Amino acid sequence: MNNSNSDNNPAIATKELTLNMGPQHPATHGVLRLVLDLNGETIVKCTPYVGYLHRGVEKLAENRNYMQILPLTDRLDYISAMSNNLGYCVAVEKLFDIELPERTEYIRTIVGELSRIVNHLLWLATHALDIGAMTVFLYCFREREKILDLFERLCGARLTVSYPRIGGLKNDVDAQWLEDLYAFTDEFPMRVEQYETLINKNRIWLRRTKGIGVISAEEAINWGLSGPTLRGSGVPYDVRKVTSYGVYDKVKWEVCTGKNGDIYDRYRVRMDEFGQSTSIIRQCIEQIPQGPIMADAPKFTLPAKDKVLTDMEHLIHHFVLITKGPQTAPEGELYVSTEVPKGELGFFFVSDGTGKPYRMRVRSPSFVHVSALPRLCEGEFVADIIANIGSIDIVLGECDR
Amino acid sequence: MTVNELIKKVFFIEILQGLALTLKHLFKPAVTIQYPAERKEPFAGSRGLHALVRDSGTGREKCVGCGLCAAMCPSQCIHIYTSEGDDHKKVVDRYEIEVLRCVYCAFCVEACPYGAIVLTDHFEYSGYSREEFYYTKERLLENWDKYMAGNKGKEYLERFWRPRAVDFATPAPAKKEERAKQ
Repeated sequence: MNNSNSDNNPAIATKELTLNMGPQHPATHGVLRLVLDLNGETIVKCTPYVGYLHRGVEKLAENRNYMQILPLTDRLDYISAMSNNLGYCVAVEKLFDIELPERTEYIRTIVGELSRIVNHLLWLATHALDIGAMTVFLYCFREREKILDLFERLCGARLTVSYPRIGGLKNDVDAQWLEDLYAFTDEFPMRVEQYETLINKNRIWLRRTKGIGVISAEEAINWGLSGPTLRGSGVPYDVRKVTSYGVYDKVKWEVCTGKNGDIYDRYRVRMDEFGQSTSIIRQCIEQIPQGPIMADAPKFTLPAKDKVLTDMEHLIHHFVLITKGPQTAPEGELYVSTEVPKGELGFFFVSDGTGKPYRMRVRSPSFVHVSALPRLCEGEFVADIIANIGSIDIVLGECDR
Repeated sequence: MTVNELIKKVFFIEILQGLALTLKHLFKPAVTIQYPAERKEPFAGSRGLHALVRDSGTGREKCVGCGLCAAMCPSQCIHIYTSEGDDHKKVVDRYEIEVLRCVYCAFCVEACPYGAIVLTDHFEYSGYSREEFYYTKERLLENWDKYMAGNKGKEYLERFWRPRAVDFATPAPAKKEERAKQ
């Protein structure tokens, strides 16, 4: 790409330099280690090493019953824990064949989209900070804090929410919460405009992002990219559109796509998703029906607490479910994916009919995106690595599991 | 490049717009709080340090040592040791929570068929050794007393902790013989 003088002049001996970036580099968004072979400023070869945050979630899941696995999924992608919880619950519900009440579907869609906003806010904040725009970082955290406060009011935790349950939710939302959320969605588009004022046309931002890390639509599909990273290349693929979970078929929204597949387009896709998510949340709040929040599936869901305290049958059932897990899980294999903010999160279960999964495999978007990183980086400058890592939006907790 | 674009480029219009925005924020009230000096109250229902409910009738813990919380705990940080007491009743000798391993999912609260364990909203606790984070039965009961003495205890009891089906705050019914005496 750049032919410096030393390359052409045989009198000056040059040698490729191997540089170790990470695993404790602040701009690698966690503990990602990249070994770079450099020719001057140009990257000849980039090798990612993952596994520094490996906690054995998949193995742990084999020793816990289906209910107990939920808090483990919080810690996959800790930035958008709510989406992971939802993805897990959706998968298990499909395994158990549980029909959800309508209100639950609406609430799940709302919190799922809130989680998407939280994730994209943190992504924008850190991505901009990596490239050098510090103000955006602080502004994004201001709004993120408001959503985290809403999460805390809803379920008692800000980050590791553990809010959904298999076949329902931990607790119902109250009217005041929905009103406050609606007020937030009134104000939020104005905030997004502010971020865009700061960086959208900023010449430094454009020079750092436009035409860098380009990946074509075909290649993006071949590399298995998903989510905004794929849509930035112009592929209108969104799991929310192609499979049915939540109430995404009942609200109006569209899939945001880019054109060129460079860092700027991936940035634009995520910025557009702010608007789509806000619109989905508003429509959901307007349409949300009254009703129960737990599915009528007594074999898989814990009985209501007041029944446990008064009725012997329910108490026995409560004991069995907690100590042994659901005893009537169907046998077989199942893969279910959902659209989390980072891409396609899939859960694969092998069930042997006991209360614990025989095997649980997590298909995490970050892991796939990291594998495509060498393709994005090679031939570019060292500084562009940071921008590329930011643009594929990885979290190593999910990548290493 | 049109003249318009050229002017925008030469006069750094987009950067000036950004600077104007930050300048505006300079005169707005700060959104941050100075933590140790200023504190934000956690929202009602926030999941923090555990407490064992003290039965106001017997003065002992409500816990009967069934072990459901320990079975449900995803991080397996609850340890319960029981023994046989007078008239063959189960007695909870030790009830320990390793708070450092806890993930605050509140599954123990959901599992408890007696409403005997709760999570308070106290989250600022620290110590110099691991032993300080082994919460024994006595310390957990102390947490409950401390929390109920505070101004938020009543509200939390009514809103979150009192099981809906039974009268939770009233003392346990007296035994048959005692009732006969009265």
